[in-house]
Amino acid sequence: MILSALLLLPFLGFIGVLLMPKTSVRSIRRIATVITGLTLILGVSLAATFQPHLTTIQFEERLAWIPQLGVFYHVGVDGLSITMVLLTTLLAFLACLASWSIMERQKEYFALYLLLEVGMLGTFVALDLFLFYVFWEVVLVPMYFLIGIWGGGRREYSAFKFFVYTLAGSLVMLLGILTLYFQAHTFDLTMLAVVGPSLDLRLQQFLFLAFFLGFAIKVPVFPFHTWLPDAHVDAPTPVSVLLAGVLLKMGSYGFLRISYPLFPHAAQWFAPAMATLGVINIVYGGFVAMAQTDFKRLVAYSSVSHMGFVLLGLSSLTPEGMNGALLQMFTHGTITGGMFLLVGVLYDRTHTRQLDAFGGLGAVVPRYTACLYVFGLASLGLPGLSGFVGEFLSLAGTFGVWPWQTAVSVLGIVAAAAYMLTVLQRVLLGPVNPRWAHMPDMTVRELISVVPLFVLVVLVGVYPLFVLSLQDAGIHALIRHVLG
Amino acid sequence: MMLGDDLLRWAPELWLSAGALLLLLASVTTRRARHVTSLIFWATWCIAAGSLWFVQLLPHGAAFSHLILLDSLSSVFRWLALGSVGLVGLLLARASDVDPAWRGEALGLLLMVGVGLMLMAEANHLLMAYLSMELVSLGSYCLVGLSRDARSSEAALKYFLFGALVSGIMLFGMSLLFGATGTLSFAEIWNALARLNELSVRVCVLAAALLLAGLAFKISMVPFHLWTPDAYEGAPIAVTALLSVGPKAAGLALVLRVMVALGPMWERLAPTMVLLTIVTMTLGNVVAVSQRNIKRMLAYSTIAQAGYLLIGFVVNSNVGLEALLVYLVAYLFMNLGAFACVQAVCQEPAPAGEEAAPQAVGGESLEAFRGLSRRAPALAASLAVFLLSLAGLPPLAGFIGKFLLFGAAVEAHHPFLALAAVLNSAVALAYYVNIIRLMYVAEAPESAPMPVALSIRAAVAICAAATIGLGLWPHLLLEWLSHLA
Repeated sequence: MILSALLLLPFLGFIGVLLMPKTSVRSIRRIATVITGLTLILGVSLAATFQPHLTTIQFEERLAWIPQLGVFYHVGVDGLSITMVLLTTLLAFLACLASWSIMERQKEYFALYLLLEVGMLGTFVALDLFLFYVFWEVVLVPMYFLIGIWGGGRREYSAFKFFVYTLAGSLVMLLGILTLYFQAHTFDLTMLAVVGPSLDLRLQQFLFLAFFLGFAIKVPVFPFHTWLPDAHVDAPTPVSVLLAGVLLKMGSYGFLRISYPLFPHAAQWFAPAMATLGVINIVYGGFVAMAQTDFKRLVAYSSVSHMGFVLLGLSSLTPEGMNGALLQMFTHGTITGGMFLLVGVLYDRTHTRQLDAFGGLGAVVPRYTACLYVFGLASLGLPGLSGFVGEFLSLAGTFGVWPWQTAVSVLGIVAAAAYMLTVLQRVLLGPVNPRWAHMPDMTVRELISVVPLFVLVVLVGVYPLFVLSLQDAGIHALIRHVLG
Repeated sequence: MMLGDDLLRWAPELWLSAGALLLLLASVTTRRARHVTSLIFWATWCIAAGSLWFVQLLPHGAAFSHLILLDSLSSVFRWLALGSVGLVGLLLARASDVDPAWRGEALGLLLMVGVGLMLMAEANHLLMAYLSMELVSLGSYCLVGLSRDARSSEAALKYFLFGALVSGIMLFGMSLLFGATGTLSFAEIWNALARLNELSVRVCVLAAALLLAGLAFKISMVPFHLWTPDAYEGAPIAVTALLSVGPKAAGLALVLRVMVALGPMWERLAPTMVLLTIVTMTLGNVVAVSQRNIKRMLAYSTIAQAGYLLIGFVVNSNVGLEALLVYLVAYLFMNLGAFACVQAVCQEPAPAGEEAAPQAVGGESLEAFRGLSRRAPALAASLAVFLLSLAGLPPLAGFIGKFLLFGAAVEAHHPFLALAAVLNSAVALAYYVNIIRLMYVAEAPESAPMPVALSIRAAVAICAAATIGLGLWPHLLLEWLSHLA
């Protein structure tokens, strides 16, 4: 029942916020914060009671939904999804705290925000393909509004682009779902994982590509990434956090949950392409990030680069590489989530994101400086912080399988060092820009939203087993399944 | 007593006809007595609904010397017809683009069209098919012309001329069919076709094509869609709503009936039909993107929707039929709901004390929707639900329908059909979301809350509840359909 509670809680919050009068902003904020907080507690207790050594589905629930079509409300978690559920509940709570700075149409904002959380959590716990698709799409609509109404810059354009891109991808995925259904006559992912591998190779390849398109746009894989910088930059801070922290992971999670187990032969067939795409993401994203002058756009492109390591790790089909990929999904969520929060803190005070506009802030705002240093260094992969572990594992796991691709992708780490150090230098070091000489440091609320991520970045960097132990058994089971 | 039995099973249509005649009489004698006509309309509607509920329990089968067929299929379409008549009745009650003096006639004609719609779904005989289509068409021509402005008359005339031409074409097809087979009854045509020689079969293919042309006109299938945007734009909004749902559903029902009779021809017609289905949805969607008038945009949207619906027909399978029925039910609610919202916005009454034409405030431009979420939050939210459902997003009713329709295309091994439908859904999102963008996202001048009439609120609430409800609990609809089958 705990998973249903996990989904029901934000949904009830959504209804609750809708029922409030739109003038009682304080109560609406409190409701949203309490609800996301309770969801986080549920998520943590879920991870705490999760049995890491088991490879079976845990906390499973199965109820008939549309029996005529064989659609079930089938939810559960295993090693592949538990860290994602944890990440989602955590970021949803922290970004909700950051959402207190939303100054207009708060009722609509928090209602959509909670609906978004339902969709995100549902995507990670669904074990029925139909249900998965429904949750996958439920995410789109609130996200469209959140970017479009509360965003900045060319928000209408960016929100629309996000919506159309992702919907186009998921419609092709829908075609794949339908084709699969009329072959296997079930939507149950555990049953499909049994039926899928026995399908004709050509069909597997077609289905793999159909699902790939849906997931690749979400990740985003080059050349489907063009929606990402627009959406991330124009979204309000908390929404950028969720976009980068959770929504991108939905794509790579789709590979782990659906593409690999259902079409293992096609996955092996596609592995070289996957590795190459990963390298392109890493290097291209890194170099484009180097050229950015807008802080937020730089972080957005760094996401493209970092998600490349996930693809690279996935292509290896080795325990190290796959563990690295899944860990990278978690750590990228925490690091980039933190980065976007920090960009937001700066933007709230200065209303600019141009890197040239700052300078010497290290002397003005010490708490902010400490946070930015840690997240920046974690992002460039400094050993001892969490970003290093995921990238190292995925490189180490892939080197034996795709040596050339791995060698080239190291360029991306060099690029990451270059752009992140530039950021730190331009924002924190140098002479103090007199315009910001009296900038206030981070408030308690801002600190509360960043510090948990800060702690996780250090903790996972020092003791990665903390997360790895949750996912390792699931990864091994998946690799055994794929390699037969 | 055979005739008594038949009349009993056909009681809903009888009640509707009686109500229609009574309304026409009453509106002649008691001009401007709105309450009387409304009362008669709703009393008739309720009695008809009650008797339709009752006659479902009676045995299925042919009636009136095999002129009509009362089976599970017609039962679904009778409900669809009655549902659209009821919802359009709600819209007509406050329609400012219909002369109040003609409201009684409008309601009477609406009931008459309802009878025609039901008959189209029941027809089992070419004569009955033609009569029922003419009943619907003639009623519709009058309804389209009910508005006071010149556009309405122009639209009615265009609709009429195009319709008359197509009727002629269809009659010619029927006469060819009669000449070749010697019968007008669907069941006997089927038997006769199986025994024909090659020459007669060719004649019959031509006849079938001509016959389908007439039906394509009703469904607004390409290339017989040309009347749609003009008629939809000129007609009163409530009538446009009716045209977009009622005749489409009934037309599809009749196509299904006719194709049962023409079964042996199907092999030769199928490739063309599949192609036209793809063209219909593509043309509708692509042209809709560039429309700036909400009624024209929805007109092209309904052409595209007709394309989706036709998938269920051209795949020629049980899965396809079920999908078609599910999507029609969803379409009834989401499309009529969207039109109800459009009526509320476009016919917003001018503020008291200002002398203004009825459409001065709202207007039919897409711009009228700018900032609606702040002026009428519930209405805007409902319209967003309808549009997202039309675009096929879960968990709304339109998604389930589309899911089944696309599934039917995949199941029947029509990969290009499925791919075209999928690509079209992506294109369609552009114009549906554009309205949502105007309502919610776009900068808008702050203005006063918008009043929404009670009857429109009721229509919107019913449609929204059904659109969301059928999306969340589609198994109820599927179960109902399987009980009927």
